[in-house]
This record gives sequence, structure tokens and C-alpha cells, in this order.
Amino acid sequence: MRTLLLFGVVAGAALAQNWTTYNGTTQSTHYSALDQIKPSNVAGLDLKWVSQADSLEKFEATPLVIDGVMYVTEPPNTAVALDTRTGRPYWRYERPVPPGNYVCCGNVNRGLAIQGDTIFMGTLDAHLVALDRATGRKKWETKVADYTHGYSITVAPLVVKDKVIVGPAGGERGISGFLAAYDTNTGKEVWKFHTIPQPGEPGHETWSGDSWKTGGGSTWVTGSYDPELNLVYWGIGNPGPDWNPTARLGDNLYTDSVVALDADTGKLKWHYQFTPHDEWDFDSVQVPVLVDLNWRGKQRKAMLWGNRNGFFYVLDRTSGEFLLGKPFVRQTWSKGLDDSGKPMKISGTSPSISGTDVYPGVQGGTNWYSPSFSPRTGLFYLTAWENYHTSYYTWEQEYEPGKSFTGGSARSPIPSIRREPIITWGPEWGYGVIRAINPMNGEKVWEYKMLDVSDAGILTTASDLLFSGNREGYFFALDAKTGKELWKRYLGMQVADSPITYTVDGIQYISVAAGHAIFTFALGHGG
Amino acid sequence: MTRFSYLLFLFSSAAMVHAQHGSIADAPFSTPRDVAAGRQSFRSQCAACHGLDASGGTVAPSLVSGTFKHGGSDEALFTVITKGVPGTAMTGFALDGREVWQLIAFLRSMNVARSAAKAPGDAGKGAQVYQTNGCARCHTNGSGSGGFSGPDLSEIGSRRTLAQIEQAIVDPNAYVDPAYWSVKAEMNSGQTVNGIRMNEDMDSIQIREPGGRLRTLMKADLARFEIVRTSPMPSFREKISGADLQNLVAYLASLGGSTAEAENK
Repeated sequence: MRTLLLFGVVAGAALAQNWTTYNGTTQSTHYSALDQIKPSNVAGLDLKWVSQADSLEKFEATPLVIDGVMYVTEPPNTAVALDTRTGRPYWRYERPVPPGNYVCCGNVNRGLAIQGDTIFMGTLDAHLVALDRATGRKKWETKVADYTHGYSITVAPLVVKDKVIVGPAGGERGISGFLAAYDTNTGKEVWKFHTIPQPGEPGHETWSGDSWKTGGGSTWVTGSYDPELNLVYWGIGNPGPDWNPTARLGDNLYTDSVVALDADTGKLKWHYQFTPHDEWDFDSVQVPVLVDLNWRGKQRKAMLWGNRNGFFYVLDRTSGEFLLGKPFVRQTWSKGLDDSGKPMKISGTSPSISGTDVYPGVQGGTNWYSPSFSPRTGLFYLTAWENYHTSYYTWEQEYEPGKSFTGGSARSPIPSIRREPIITWGPEWGYGVIRAINPMNGEKVWEYKMLDVSDAGILTTASDLLFSGNREGYFFALDAKTGKELWKRYLGMQVADSPITYTVDGIQYISVAAGHAIFTFALGHGG
Repeated sequence: MTRFSYLLFLFSSAAMVHAQHGSIADAPFSTPRDVAAGRQSFRSQCAACHGLDASGGTVAPSLVSGTFKHGGSDEALFTVITKGVPGTAMTGFALDGREVWQLIAFLRSMNVARSAAKAPGDAGKGAQVYQTNGCARCHTNGSGSGGFSGPDLSEIGSRRTLAQIEQAIVDPNAYVDPAYWSVKAEMNSGQTVNGIRMNEDMDSIQIREPGGRLRTLMKADLARFEIVRTSPMPSFREKISGADLQNLVAYLASLGGSTAEAENK
């Protein structure tokens, strides 16, 4: 119980029966207060239904559930409403993908946002669409960016008060990134924050020459919101060209940073850059996890962050002050962080013509899939790629609008994005772990080791269960206190989203996507 | 009928894609200048995933092995480039037809499929060496006979250089494809099992026993197990040498499969 006094999730976590945002609440702990399914009965989980997508692209979407109806996107550009008890669809909204609409890593979408009777979806052709919740019919649409210039939207939007916030993917196509807020009723743009500062804006001087014009800075994973501070927090993607850092001298703000923006105006309150002048594609597009901590005897509004660069961070989310940073996987690019939290780069780790091996590899120590924080255990949980490296190559590249603009290449022994569940390589090439970290000191408390890496996020519950999955095709439940495996099912294809939980008619359900299908579980008879 | 119009005649769907994006009346784009232009497009369009030298990258396979997963014919390559491969990171590219053909010309120039022509040995005599030494006990060569415990050799000429083929015969352990690593295990009962390691996860290992039986070992049932990374194939260094070795290499290099046929059209 001591931990309950030490840690408190900020207000808003009470809506346990529904799953209303990408990460459950705008504080993004991916924690649920539900406790019907617990360590003593989790072995009785039964498969209730499977819903298969039309497309063979993989699911990266986290569903929303409101009053017994699941709203989710299927790849490439489809929104569906399903009955959570049977899996039967109520409606589908399909939007064609125009020719030349390029997305770096598969035609994926991470989900929806909802407010009242309106569902919001970002589309691959870089539009924001508002749909009627009951019929799936379009209320309005707004062009967010030009897909022919490499912009797309894969992020699940975030609703804050009367605004819906989205931003583009396209960091491998020389975009100039931003985050923008639109009026939920009209779709009219209310504010826009340039993640690559334009001429005259502070931070513009961190880009040499004209490199800011194609600087990347995508915003492809959903951020968080603190209603008391009225701040929106969002992780920013890699600088472009990814692997030719000499083409963009300087710190390259605000790439690989977290930005804190005034929710009403989009004005920058503070920023913290995890990887200045990134050379390895360490997008900081992880989910900002907002928790209140008793930090060295003082109550702090904190932000926990497991970064793609291999370091775990604790920041003060009121001011952006760096409180702690420690590697959570093997990393070979930095001697560590200085007192201000700035990494001390090791020389000889830059991409080269003949290839430079660096840990972690291009998919990072972790990536976009959601971590979790349980206020009961006080632990931060993340999916990590351990002992994993990439050979980074560099070359000169001219920018051509809409075309790939990476300035190099990255090769890893482990496939980056997707494959069938067959593993024939050796464990020395890297493996996946679920790791529990004590945020007070950054130390590992326990880990659950897998043979393959994983692109699955984490759900924790008030019964101290942890749900996640992996590329081997397993979906499993662990004891959140010890990491002990309590239940596991083979779903036949990689899990590449984050599980959710909700109740319908008083019964607790767990849903997760694997391959191109959604699976829903609940306790069987006598469970 | 020129090769080009023959392809168009046969594969109207690819041609329709082509027609949407550019002229199809010109000569096929396969001059050295086209190869150079293809190399340029490859650099901007493809290299981030497939590597600058097309030898494969983090998300994408090698394109220089001579064998293409989704077909090595011109039309198959055209379709993959313009339409992509569903369910993978390979999306379709909106290029004009000329650019697509130049990319294909570049890929052709990068491949090793012409090894056979360079082999000094006699492929006909090499076929005899193949038979005499019992290679077919473990390998298929595309003729409909042979074993399956070793790698399929029916397209080996388009996947490996002459030097690689020779090395695989005299020193099979120099490079062992992880798909041919094996597992040696002792069950809790004391019984020993072994076989080719076909797959593994947290809890289980899928093996192919020497007799060909597929079997799953649960790790909980194993007292210990070890991944053996050497090749089950013995070295033929002492048995095959000189002219016989050159002839066998020439024979294997001539096994080009569909890619070689496409080359000869």
C-alpha cells in the first residue's frame, strides 16, 4: 500500500469501463482500474471472437471501446464499428489510398479519437476525417498535408477540449513536420506548431543552410495531455536525411525531442531533446507517460520516457527539467548523459560508407508501442529490444519532392518491421524483453525474456496483471509484481499493437490485434 | 516479335500499368545509359530499404541473389515495383514506365545469374560427378528426383557465385544458412533427439528429424539442448578435386531456374 501513497495517476483514470483514448486516458499510463480478471483466474481466459481485416497489412491500431461498441481502424484506411460481445460489425468507412501515397513502413494506422458523437481518423493521404459515430458517415474532412510530398497520417488523433490534434509521418521523405489542432465541430485549423522551426522562429539556427526545409520531425505517435497544466506533450520523429548528418549540421531542433505545448494556442512551453543531431533514426515518438511522483522528498508532476535511443528518462513535466536518465538496453553510441541530460556521443559511431555497427539498432531499444505505468506497483513497464544492433551506412543524396530521402541505409540481422513467425537465427543477434523499471532510480526490477523481439505494447491492471505479446505470435499475461508468466495463447502472427481492457454488461474483456485480426478474450464459465 | 512486345502481349495487366505512366512504344530500356539511370533511381527510391548495392537492408531482401521472391521475370518485377507486395513494407511506386524499366535493367546488371557462362568446367561432365558422388541423396536439382534434407539446388546457379559454389562443396562449414542449423537435445527421460532446427520460440523447437519426420520439442521436456551451427554435409575436398570439381561447379552454376529462362527469352 505504500506505493499507493507514493504514486498517483493524475485525474481522469476513473473511466475504467470504457477505453476512450489511444492509451486509455490522456495521461497515457495504459493502466486500467479493472480487476475482475486477476492472477488467480487468468488461466480461465477464453477466446470470445476474432475479427479479420480485409487487408493483409498488419494491425498497428489500438481500438477504442465506448458503451459496448469498438471503434478501430483496419489497414490501410478503413474505420469500423464492432459489437464487443460478438465481434459483428455495425458499419465500415473505407477510404481509397491514391496512387503515389507512400508510407515508409507499411500502410498502417494506429487508431481513432472520439468526442461525443464524432469519431476522428487521420488518413494515409494526410487528411483528417470526422465520422458520425452511429453511421460511419463523413461529417467533414480537412487536408492536413500533401501526400504527394511524402506526408501521410498514421497516428491516432488526440482530442483535447474542443480540438483534435494530429501530425504527419514522413520522416524518411524529407517532410517538414508539425503538429496541428483542428476545431472538433468544423475541422478548421486552430493552431499549428512547426516541429522544424521556420525562419524567424527560435531553434531555426540549429539547422545548417537550407537543411531545415527537409528536416523531417514527424509526429506519428499519439501524445498526452495534462488538464491541470493545460499542456499537450508530444514526441517528435527523426531528422532528415536520417543517416547523412553532415547534410544538416547543428542540434536539429525539435527532432528527437518531447515538446510541451499550450493546448489552446500551440505555443511552446518547453522542450527536451533526447538525441541532439541524431545519426541513427532514433525517433522520439514514444508515448509520454504522465505520473505524479514523490521525487527525493518532493511531489513532482513527472513524465516517464523509454526512448528509442536506449535510455530511460524521468522529466519534470511542468518545466521540462531533466531528473534522471539511464540506459535500459545495451547501447554503444553514448558514454552516458551529462548533468543536463545531454548524451555524450562516442566518436566513431557515425554512419559510414562501409557501415558502422551501433547498439541499439535502427528500431531502437524500444519504439512506438505503448509502455505502461501501474500506480499499484509503482513500476514502469516497457517492451525492449536487447543486445540488438544495426550497421548504419551513409551517402550523399539530393532531395526530390515525395521521394525517399534517407541519405544512407540501415541493415540489421533481425528484420525491422514484419515477418512470419519463423525464427532460425541465433539469440546473439538480439531478443525481446518485457522490462519492469523502478522510475525512482532507473533500475530494472524484473524482466521477461523472449526469443524474438516484440512490437507489442503493454497493458497493466488493478489486479496486478500485465498483458503483452510478441513477434513469435504469443499473447500473454504476467504477474506485474514479479514478471512470472501466468497465461499464454498462440495467435499465429505477430502482435504489433497494445492490448486494451474494458467492461460490457459488467464483464471484463481484453482485446488485442495480431497479424491482421483482432482477438477478444474474457473469462470462461466458472472463471 | 521482339521480346518487349511479346511481354506486353502476354501480360496485359502489367502493360496497362505501364501505359498509365508513360510511353510503351520506345525500345526496351536496357542500354548502359539506362542502367546508369536505373542506378540513380534505385539510389533515391529503393536503397534506403534494399541497400545501396541492392544486397538487402533492414526491411527488404537482397536483389542481387539472382532470384526474386515474387518472380524474376520482367513482368513480375514490373508488377512488384509498380504495385508493391501486399502485407509487406514494399509499396507500389508511381514511376513512369521508362523509370521502371531502367530500374529493372539496373537490377539485371547487378545479378550473378550469368555465372554459368564464365565457368571453366564442363557442365555435362559435372552432371556425372553429381550423380557418382550421391549428391542427390540430400539435394534436389530441379529434375524431379533427389532428397530434401539439404538445400534445393535447382536454382543455385542464380543464387551463388562460382567461388561460393566451390567453397560449399569443399568446405560446407564456411557458411551455413541458419535454416540448416540443427538441434541436439536430451529429453528429461534421457532419450536424445536431433534434427534440423526449423523454428524456435520461447517454449518450443520445431525440428525435422533425419528420417524426415516433423516433430515439436517442448523445452519443458528437455534436460538440455544445443544449437549446432555446422553443416550436416561432409566436406568433399578429398573426394572431388581438379577437373571433376570444376565440372561439378559448372554443372551447378548451370542450374538457373526460372531466372535463367527469363534471361534467355
